[in-house]
Amino acid sequence: MEQSQNLSVQKPKVQSPRLRMLKTMLERLLQNKLAVFGGFVTFLLIFTAIFAPWLAPHDPTEQNYSAVLQAPSIEYWFGTDNLGRDIFSRVIYGAQVSLQAGLISVGIALIIGVPVGLISGYYRGFIDEYIIMRMTDAMLSIPALVLALALAAVLGAGLTNAMIAIGLVLTPNFVRLIRGEVLAHREKEYVEAGKASGISDFSIILKHILPNTIAPIMVQATLAIAAAIIVEASLSYLGLGTQPPNPSWGSMLATGQGYLDSAPWIALFPGALIFITVISINLFGDGIRDMLDPKMK
Amino acid sequence: MDDQMYSKKLLTTLLLTLLMVLAACGGNDQNDEAAGGEEEPEDLTNNDAEDTLVVGLDDDPPLLDPHLSTAQVESQIFKAVYETLINVDENLDPIPGLAKDWDVSEDGLTYTFYLQEGVTFHDGADFNAEAVKYNFERILDEDLGSPNASDLRLIEEMSVEDEYTFVVELEEPFAPFLSGLSHRAGQMVSPEAAEDESIDLSNEPVGTGPFQFVDRTAQSHLEFERHDDYWGDQPDYQYLEYHAFSNEDTRITNLVSGDLDIVNRVAHKDLEQLEENPEINMSEEDGIGFQGLMLNTDREPFDNQKVRQAMNYAVDREAITEVVFHNGAEPAVSPFAPSSWANNPDLEVPDREVEKAQELLEESGVEDLSFTLTVSPSPAEQQLSEMLKSMLDEVGFNVEIEQVEFGAILDRMYEGDFDIARLGWSGRVDPDGNAYSWFHTDETYNFTGSSNEQLDELLIDARTTVDQSERQEMYHEAAEILWDETPYIFLYHENDYKPMKDNVQGFNHVPDGLIRPADLTLE
Amino acid sequence: MLSFLLRRAGLMIVILFFVSIIVFSLVNVLPGDPALMILGQEATDESLEALREDMGLNDPLVMQYFAWVGDLLQGDFGQSFRDNTEVSSLLAEKIPITLQLTVMSFAIAVLIAIPAGVISATRKGTLWDSSATLFALSGVSLPPFWLGILLIFIFAVTLGWFPPSGYVPITENVAQSLWYMLLPAVALGVRLSAELTRMLRSSLLEVLGSDYIRTGYAKGLLERAVVYGHALRNSILPVITVSALQFAAFLGGTVITEEIFNIPGLGQLLVTSIQTRDFPVLQGAVMFMALAVILINFLTDVLYSILDPRIKLTGGSQ
Repeated sequence: MEQSQNLSVQKPKVQSPRLRMLKTMLERLLQNKLAVFGGFVTFLLIFTAIFAPWLAPHDPTEQNYSAVLQAPSIEYWFGTDNLGRDIFSRVIYGAQVSLQAGLISVGIALIIGVPVGLISGYYRGFIDEYIIMRMTDAMLSIPALVLALALAAVLGAGLTNAMIAIGLVLTPNFVRLIRGEVLAHREKEYVEAGKASGISDFSIILKHILPNTIAPIMVQATLAIAAAIIVEASLSYLGLGTQPPNPSWGSMLATGQGYLDSAPWIALFPGALIFITVISINLFGDGIRDMLDPKMK
Repeated sequence: MDDQMYSKKLLTTLLLTLLMVLAACGGNDQNDEAAGGEEEPEDLTNNDAEDTLVVGLDDDPPLLDPHLSTAQVESQIFKAVYETLINVDENLDPIPGLAKDWDVSEDGLTYTFYLQEGVTFHDGADFNAEAVKYNFERILDEDLGSPNASDLRLIEEMSVEDEYTFVVELEEPFAPFLSGLSHRAGQMVSPEAAEDESIDLSNEPVGTGPFQFVDRTAQSHLEFERHDDYWGDQPDYQYLEYHAFSNEDTRITNLVSGDLDIVNRVAHKDLEQLEENPEINMSEEDGIGFQGLMLNTDREPFDNQKVRQAMNYAVDREAITEVVFHNGAEPAVSPFAPSSWANNPDLEVPDREVEKAQELLEESGVEDLSFTLTVSPSPAEQQLSEMLKSMLDEVGFNVEIEQVEFGAILDRMYEGDFDIARLGWSGRVDPDGNAYSWFHTDETYNFTGSSNEQLDELLIDARTTVDQSERQEMYHEAAEILWDETPYIFLYHENDYKPMKDNVQGFNHVPDGLIRPADLTLE
Repeated sequence: MLSFLLRRAGLMIVILFFVSIIVFSLVNVLPGDPALMILGQEATDESLEALREDMGLNDPLVMQYFAWVGDLLQGDFGQSFRDNTEVSSLLAEKIPITLQLTVMSFAIAVLIAIPAGVISATRKGTLWDSSATLFALSGVSLPPFWLGILLIFIFAVTLGWFPPSGYVPITENVAQSLWYMLLPAVALGVRLSAELTRMLRSSLLEVLGSDYIRTGYAKGLLERAVVYGHALRNSILPVITVSALQFAAFLGGTVITEEIFNIPGLGQLLVTSIQTRDFPVLQGAVMFMALAVILINFLTDVLYSILDPRIKLTGGSQ
């Protein structure tokens, strides 16, 4: 504990050591309990997504015109939608879409962001300073949802394109994070020593710098998954994400909004699931950050 | 970094004060609201509510120049500010408009129009035969590029007989000519305003109608005022406003709360709720359009007639009209609505026959039955497309739904880049308007790529024949050929609904779906 | 000082240049023929071609870009494809609406965040603190559109206190206008307030531990006076910084919130422009949003540097 509070730079402000220690301890305690909870729920959601076919009581796309807009019941736990489909089953399958969207779009952001950030930070120079950094500035000054919306419209509606769009929008965050880490490490002795002994830039980046950036990347990636899920739901709400009849929480919400007075369950359940998923992942991400804190620079 | 935070007291204080002021303002306002705010929303309008009629539209009308107009919603506005040479009544029969009478020669080539006298445009210009000639010439002017020129294209000669008599000679008989004049091609704009460079008719319409243009707030609303020199009966109220609400829920909310007096379109899912509302009167009328699926017959698998026919039996039209349209639509088998004289009563709506569809698919020998169904992203369209997918997948198709904005759908159609598109037609008064340009080889909206000589001949004959019973025969036959050829899956004819507040009286429901504001009175 | 300002302004121009490239290239690979969008279902081939020529759609892209930027620099955002309205006048019409939403959201956020932050910092470790922390966590994870729909369901559909959606101009009826916009402002403000509560709590905790606050206590000042008079004033700065950095995300939130509540602001204009392929409007709206974000960050930086010359700001990344 003593050691960790000295190294803690999460909130870089002056405070008395005594209070700060107390605060860190309390925060850790509180956050860890929540993090465990968040991790548990996240695991449960992943489990649900994987085993959706066995868990869902109905086919999520099966329509039953004689059971349209039915309230929650024993047969239909979360009620039925405007085509008589089981909302509970659709919500379960929707977990697949949301988690997939979160993971894949962050994956895309990492695949582009990590190499660009590494190279840009290591070599610096004109391209780094005036092209890559300014490009990330430009991308970050356009609201993420707006950029994703425009990109998704360019690429065409659909889950795959939505994931690509979200991935691209998230990329500058990773470029900047990794570049910053590289800048902090490139002047270190071991890098200097490596350079002096003639090790190639490539192996320095790969063997010495990259491993040191993994912890912050992990934290950022976890939190980015939560953000990506929200953006995917927003795009689907606007009709640019998952295409019908595939269940997506965002598009279920959009359908449900038209029935808030007659069949509110259509919107309420998928909305609640988005919230639960995002908060769990956020809690889990915060937990990882605190866990890794002592090692982070 | 750390201690810098503490040395900005001035900035801090400044910004804090600002935030506090903001917070205080916001807070007070809300409190005032909670205490004194009315829950009943007030009228949207600035004008005296007693003397104002407010119409809710489903979209903002882009172009208010009737000769350039292409959007359906624009025609709603034209009924206030413009008048047509010919009008139509509830049975879609022609009645006098700006032409108080007309003669058609035996051979169907010469039309003589006797015009209303004492009519002036809102800018003071006189309406007379010269003005009609000016308008026709304007529509036919290639520089203007009027999309409505085709209604007048057969005019060979026009002449001003005297001040109020106007004669048109056609190259060949054209049965839909009069009905065209009841639509955009018959709208009369002020020649003076049209010539005036400083007036943009697309934004400031100048006609002879009962209401004259006052103001427009782009993509929001339009204001009109009673035209004091109007030649006909003066409207019952002074001000008329059109407010656009593309969101169907908001539109209805505003009607129910009392902000709107009448609405031009309603989502079918809200029909029951509105009909139960004691303060709302609902007028219902058969529509004149048709809705369904356009098949790309240049592409697999729809280049095969049996595959196309299989679709006709795979879809359950009754279920669609019930679930999506809450029985506010009629199942369709042809482009002519059941109420039209052109409708063929022998063509019955088939039940859904899964086995027959599967047999047809088997006979076709086509292996790959996967395709993309392109629809626009409205809630009802989405619901419909999901039903279609479920029905078609069951007989052996493999449907992928793609939601694309309406404009983009059109784009794909022009490029021929689609498998099946959900595209229908609001309909025209004359059956020719529902058939010729849609199903004649290579005509404007025949995106299906289909071509049938016999059908082409019938459609041409039907528009150049004057006698209605002969035309009726032809359209009956044409509908049968279309059913057999199946370039298009007719699904339903949408009924037209106009919900209005109970103090709105005098509404005259013409199947073209246009609200004629001068008919309405406020109690 | 001057050189810093120049440098920072130069940087801003470079960023704007990149933004303009992004916006232009986005729009010019959007599918769809704008001429067809304008003329609609009843267009003819001749009228389409004439319009394309007229709109410069047949020119090379580089030419189109320079023509566009040239016009932008003169304040000419072009005309809407839809109805030929000047984009600048459309923006001028929509911006005040979104600004009203923004101001109300920030006001609500501050109204929630200050008490929540203060309580959780001064009653640290109590149930109050845990509740405030949990609130902050939930708020951050609550997508504005979900909260919006929830608010509509509870306060409009079920209780009937508010209209479910819509907008009244503030110039027409101030009370009505605020009433209509309250739910959307809450939907946006809660998320923001969650961020602010988090920041305020931790920065308050630090300030409360510093010497001069303890001096204040020693001088016998009442707790309330200490907290509000000194500590809050000193801990609000990082909170404002956070708000500035959150501005881009906040604008993104207004887009979907306006869509849900059917508020005819900048966000709805943007969504409609994407749906109708109204390129000039789309370009104008995105350029304006980026400009607003860049300006706010610039102003924050400049104010900092004026008030504290020790901060050396180099480049855009602080």
